[in-house]
This record gives sequence, structure tokens and C-alpha cells, in this order.
Amino acid sequence: MPVMKRRSFGVPEMLLFLSVAILVIVVAVPVLLILYTSFFVDGHFNAGQVMSILSEPDIYEALLNSLFIASGTCIMSTFIGTLFAWLVVRTDLPYKGFMKTLFLVPFMLPSFIGAIAWKMLLSPRSGYINILLMDLFNLEEPVFDIYGYGGIMAIETMYLFPFVFIQVCGALERMDPTLEESARISGASLLTITRKITLPLMAPSIMSGALLIVLYSMAHFGTVAVLGMENGIFNIPVLIYEKIHQSAGSFDSIRAGTVMAAVLIVSAAFIIWLQNKVLSRGRYQIIAGKSFRPMEVKLRGLRIPLFIFCLAYIGFTIVLPTVTIFLVGGLSTYGVDITWENLSLDNYKFILFEWDLTRDAIWNSVSLGLGAAVITMFAGVMISYVIVKMQVRGKGILEFLGMLPFSVPGSVIALGVILAWSGKFGINLYNTVWIILVSYIARYMAFSLKANSAALEQVHDSLVEAARACGAGMGQALKDIVLPLVRPGMFAAFFLIFLPAMRELTVSIMLYAPTTRTIGVAIYTLNEDGETVLSAALAGIALIIIVTGQSVIKYFQNRKAG
Amino acid sequence: MKRRFTAALAGLALSALLVAPASQASAADLVIYTSMKEALIGPMTKAFMAKHPDIKVDHQSAGAGKLMAKIAAERQSGTILADILWTSEVPDFYALKREGLLEPYVSPNAKDILNPLPDFDGSFTPIRLGTLGIVYNTRFMKKAPEKWSDLFEKKNSPFGIANPALSGTAFVSVFLLSEQFGWDFFKDLKKNKAKMGKGSGQVIDDTAKGDLLACLGVDYQTFSKIDKGAYLGMAYPPEMLVVPSPAAIFKNSPNLEAAKKFIDFMLTEECQKIVAENGTLPVHPGVKVPAKYNLPDQTEAMKRAIPIDYPKLITSKQATVDQFTEIFGKKK
Repeated sequence: MPVMKRRSFGVPEMLLFLSVAILVIVVAVPVLLILYTSFFVDGHFNAGQVMSILSEPDIYEALLNSLFIASGTCIMSTFIGTLFAWLVVRTDLPYKGFMKTLFLVPFMLPSFIGAIAWKMLLSPRSGYINILLMDLFNLEEPVFDIYGYGGIMAIETMYLFPFVFIQVCGALERMDPTLEESARISGASLLTITRKITLPLMAPSIMSGALLIVLYSMAHFGTVAVLGMENGIFNIPVLIYEKIHQSAGSFDSIRAGTVMAAVLIVSAAFIIWLQNKVLSRGRYQIIAGKSFRPMEVKLRGLRIPLFIFCLAYIGFTIVLPTVTIFLVGGLSTYGVDITWENLSLDNYKFILFEWDLTRDAIWNSVSLGLGAAVITMFAGVMISYVIVKMQVRGKGILEFLGMLPFSVPGSVIALGVILAWSGKFGINLYNTVWIILVSYIARYMAFSLKANSAALEQVHDSLVEAARACGAGMGQALKDIVLPLVRPGMFAAFFLIFLPAMRELTVSIMLYAPTTRTIGVAIYTLNEDGETVLSAALAGIALIIIVTGQSVIKYFQNRKAG
Repeated sequence: MKRRFTAALAGLALSALLVAPASQASAADLVIYTSMKEALIGPMTKAFMAKHPDIKVDHQSAGAGKLMAKIAAERQSGTILADILWTSEVPDFYALKREGLLEPYVSPNAKDILNPLPDFDGSFTPIRLGTLGIVYNTRFMKKAPEKWSDLFEKKNSPFGIANPALSGTAFVSVFLLSEQFGWDFFKDLKKNKAKMGKGSGQVIDDTAKGDLLACLGVDYQTFSKIDKGAYLGMAYPPEMLVVPSPAAIFKNSPNLEAAKKFIDFMLTEECQKIVAENGTLPVHPGVKVPAKYNLPDQTEAMKRAIPIDYPKLITSKQATVDQFTEIFGKKK
């Protein structure tokens, strides 16, 4: 471990200072304002009101629902994500590269759009699949009912498992295969190697992916709002949303919302504490700065069946809902049959060329997504470096600060950002795009920190030490050794921020002004307004933009790699 | 190589950010927060801007509950962005007036309008009389329902009502129906598989698809879908739901004169015709709704309407919403 020189203001101190400053300004101030708002009434501490809000039975139920849905989603996503990651990285599955890209596609699909699509397909009375099956087999009762815990978990899993998938893929690719090879040479069976070497090495990545899913799912609004709300299933974010929209949005409701957000913050703190406890049992530095081509497991007879299974999974979870969205987007009005006479491009034309609202929304989302992703990527790599590689007291606080916005529902982040950036402290960003940018940075900082610190954790300190020993300054060591090695982490961070920011909903819906609508806001409000076909068409266009954006980025990445 | 890409990306993002604010509205624009859908508010602002080319009108269309949340947040921050509010959530207007947030303005065009609101002082002026009826899926319900009790004719027929916490028309309708028929009406509906939807428009689309057999639907939203070929029908039972939608100017609006002009314009025959052509009742007594909509005219609608006890409506908002969610919010 490098020993930092103290009492001189060199590169490390500057990095530390900047990291703390960024996190305090972007994250801590809004969160503290949320806590202050929930616990203090007119400047006085008021625990009684907090208790009376917390003693409502709705809140327990919402918390239990949040936990139940998050656990189910986490278990299913971790299993699916790890399995597919292993298949595309470490086996001789056909078309692996292409399959890997396909498995990342659900990450681009907004989960609330997915929920809307699955509602179209599987709603018990009129879902296309249910009607088809009932016609085919002459059934009286529908086969599937998407409304319920099972449906919510299944759909969250479909769209959240890439969190685990990305993390595990990255770790598997960077893993030093000599460890496994030496075990094999020593006569260990595949099962033993997997159990004793691969899985323990993967554990930090699997855990951090699983943790992301638990936090994300607990604070997830869209799917529960679409599939649960009408049937009395609600989690904390949905309850906050409802509370805030009751009582004509009086400040009491906003306070009730912030109190519930405090419950989520506490749960998140507990989960993070738990994760640190698990992870601290063993940290592995498994990159030594060299690139390996990992050994491939031969699937033999299972190769084709597993390939078909992967294709079926992709077809069922990606192609089917996407096609549904595009087809419904072409209908003249919702509910008419999908036939050639009823399909046209009119909705798409209207959205792209005639309607200011949707054109503004597309432009806003693209610029906000790029801006937030670039800024957060660079800030994240710096802060992660301080957290992972520098021995500084109190850096756990830094890490916790970075995870906070992730565990707070977007709508409450938005409230915090409004409280912080609306002129009370001299800067008024309210009703501009900048406030949305600030909240995106706050919201997605956790993604960037996770991706970057995972990458940094695997860069062995010996490399920096070697550079320093050869006479390089701290700055030069960072530039020439650390940055090139963590670039994959930075790119991962970029995708993890840019793609979800492109269709971000929960934050923007609280912050948008008439001319600063984002794509997510436009899709959701159109859907809620009963403009189902227009909202499906806009969702289709959003998907095209996101996929195109990713292809462009991929192209650049491949060019520089080649 | 890699660096060039990163630099290009950063450059792209920065330039995007620098350009983005250019698309923002300038300060002199008139901003309207409304629960009316694009089909209604869009043509109105277009017609207004054609008459007043010097005023640019921007509108934000969302459910009344959402708009009030936005206004509450904006009040916390010090400035309400909107100049005009136009929704169907009548109690909100009385609450805002009580808090001194509305600018009273009696438009010269307001003299002859049909105004069901008591204590009119210009703080808010009704622009349309929204009607709600039973919207039904014509594939699943061959016979149009005629009275409210027809909803119980078929067992297990899901009926949709928008969330009264989010939708102003749904709130007033729930209040009126509970006054008229008691809460048992809703309990029976729930027993018959009724569901609480989200926005007022969404229940209509769910009915068109067949997820719901029928729903409580707003006039113009339903008619615009019927025009496009949706399998929907609109039925008005004898006890009609007529909900006035008032508009108000916010105090300290920086665009006060423009806002007054817009209120004046909304009450003109020209604008009221836009209201009528969309299939909702105008407040201008001389303007008639096109016959194709089969909508009772203003006089008949007012006669058949369940009378609104305004003081009670205003004071019982939270209780109504709570009672409704108590019945509908619980699990199946």
C-alpha cells in the first residue's frame, strides 16, 4: 500500500478535496435537506409528526412489499445474470459477442415501457397472448395474470438482470485464468474449480450487482405503478408518489414523502453495511495489468440446446415486447385489431415532425444523457480512486454518500434538488435543464462509483508502486497506469448512465418545465393521459435512438480497440 | 485513440449542453398549467397565438393532482411558474383563492356565461362544463347501458374509475355519485370487479382494449377516440355528472395582461366553438355541441346534473379520496 504524504497539498490532497466537494454539493446537500425537511417543522425538531406519519399501517405494508419485490427480483436476476454472463464469457456458446450485446438490450429498455408492453400481452382479459392461448386451446379462463407480485418480479427481473450481467461479465473477462488452470493441472474437477475458485473470485462482482438490484428495485417506481397500483400492490416509491399527489400537493404531503424516503435511506444504509461486511471477508486483486484470454468451457452436447434457450429467452423478453410496442404505436387508436388496415406510420410522423412536445423531449433527453454521463463518468473515476486506492480516514462516508442517491426514490431526489437549487442558496436552477442535469448526476453517481471502483479494485497496487519507483510522479502514474487500466470501467460507467438517463422518468417528472420535458416524461404522461398509441410510438422512437446511440459508441470503441 | 474518443464525447456533451438552454422559453411567455388534453388545449392556444402573434403560449398538460404538486413545490421555491391554471378540480381553486394566490379578474366576456360556481368574484371563471358518462366497450357490451344500475347487470364486469387523487374529474364524479347513491354504490362496483385506474384518459384506453368492460369517462377524450375508430360507446344515465372546469390567473403573474387576454379569449364564441367541436359542453350559451356527439345540450345537462354542494365538495376532498381508496385500494 502506498503511504500518502501528509501536510502537503499535492495531487492526492487535491483529489480528496475535489471528491468531497463534488459529493457534498451534488449529493449530501439535497439529501440533508430532505432529512431536515422531514424532521424539522418551521426550524423546530418535530419527532411527533414523524412518528404519526410512520405509524400508518400503509407504510409497513409498503415497506414489506418493497422488500419482498426487491428480494424476489434480486434472486431471480442474480441467477439469470450470472448464468448468462458465464455462458457468453467462459463457454463456447455460438455467436457469443452478438449474444452479449443482445443480453445488454433489456438495460436499454425502460422498465415501465416493458411493463406497459407486458400488460398489453398478458393482461388477463385482453392480453394478446392470453387471447391467443384461449382461442388455440378453447380455454375459458386466461392462462396468465400479469397483475400481481409474480408479474412485477418477473418483469423487473427481465429489465434489471443486466446489472449483474455487466458486472460479472467484466469480472470474468478480467479474471486471471492461471488460477483456474493451476487448479485444473492439480486435478480439480470443473465443479470444484467453479465452487472454490471461480465463484469466490466472482463474489464481489455478483454481490455488487445483486446489491444494485435490491437498491434499484426497492426504489423502483415504474413497474409497480403500472402493474400493481390498480390492484392495491404498492411499494414505498409508489406510496410516496401517491402521498405527494394527494391533499392538493400540500407541503404536509411532501413532508410525509420525505419521511418515507428517510425509511428507504435507512434500509439502504443497512444493505450497504451488510455488503461491506460480506465483502470485507476477502478482496481479490485479480488483474495484474496483463490481458489474458480465458479458457473456454466446452459445452459439448449442451451447446445447441443452451444456445436455443438463450435465443428463446431473448426472443421472449426483448423481441416480443419491442414488436408489441412498435405495432401498437402504429395503430390508429388503442383496442382496434392489429391488421394491415389499422396500421400506419401516422403516429410516428406526428411525433417526429409535427408535435413540438415530443421533438423537444427527444432533444432534451439526448443532451441531458450525454452531459450527465460524461460528467459523472469523470467525477466517478476520481472519487472511486480516492475510495479504493487512497488510505484516507472517513472514506466510508464518501462511499455511503455516493450510494445515497441510488437508494432514494427519484421523486425525492427531485424534491431535494428543488430544495437545494431553487434560489435559497443563491443559485436558482429551477425550471431549467440544469436542475435536471444536477439531479441526473446525483442519481447516477452510484452507477459510476460502482463500475469504477470494481475496475480499480482489480488494478494491483504494485503497478503504481513500480511506476513511482521508476521516478514517475503521482499524476503521471495515474495518467499512464491507472487510467488506461480502468478505462473499461469508465466506459461501463458511461453506458450505465447514458442509457438509463435517456429515458429517465422518476426524477424528470418532478422537475420538468413546459420546454424541458424528457422522453420518459413524454412517454409516461402520454400513457397516463390515455394516449396509449402515441406513447407506444414515442417509446418505439426512443428505442431506436437508444440503440443507434449505443451502436455509434460501440463502433468507436471497436475502432480504437482494433 | 481512446483518448480522442473520450475527448470527442466530452466535446459533444458540452456542446449539447450549451445549445440546450437556447431551446428554453423566454421570460415573456404565457404558461398554462392545465388538466385538459392536447386535443382540447392545443387548438385553443394555436388559435390564440394566431390572434395575438406577440404572445407565445406554452402549456403543461397533466392530471390536476400532479399540477397541484408541482405548484406546491414551486411555491416552496418562491415562484409559481404558471400564469394560468385550468383544471376540473374545483376545490383546488377555492383553496388557492383562500390562500390569496389568485388574481381576481372578471372578464367582460364572462357576463352571459353559464356559471354554476357560487360566490363568483372573478378569481376563477368556468370555461367548459365537462360531462362524464359510462364509456363502454362496444364489442363486449352489445347493449348500451341506460342507468347507473345497469353496471351491475352482468356479473364480474370490471368498471374503471380514475384515481380521484390524481384526476379532478374523477374526484368530483366520485363525490357526486357517493352523495347521490351512497358509498354502497362503490362497494357494489368493487364487488363486481371494478378497478381504480390512474389518469382519466387511461381508463378509457383500457376500456377500448377490453381490460375494462366500461369506465367513467370524460366526454371529449372519449369522442376523440370514437372518431378514430375505437370500439367505444358513450352513455349518459339520467343522473348526469356535470363538472365545471374553471381557469384562474395566478397573483404576481409577470404576464398579467397577456393572461387576461387569454381568459377573455377562452370565453369568446370562437374559442367556445373549439370546446364544443371537441365534444364537451361550452359555457357560452349560444354555442352548441355538434349533433354527432349525441351529448345533451347545456340546458338539459344542467337540469339532469346531480346538483353540486360546493361547500361540502370543498371541505370533504380528503375524506372522499380516503374513503374511495379504502374501498378500491385494498387487494383483491
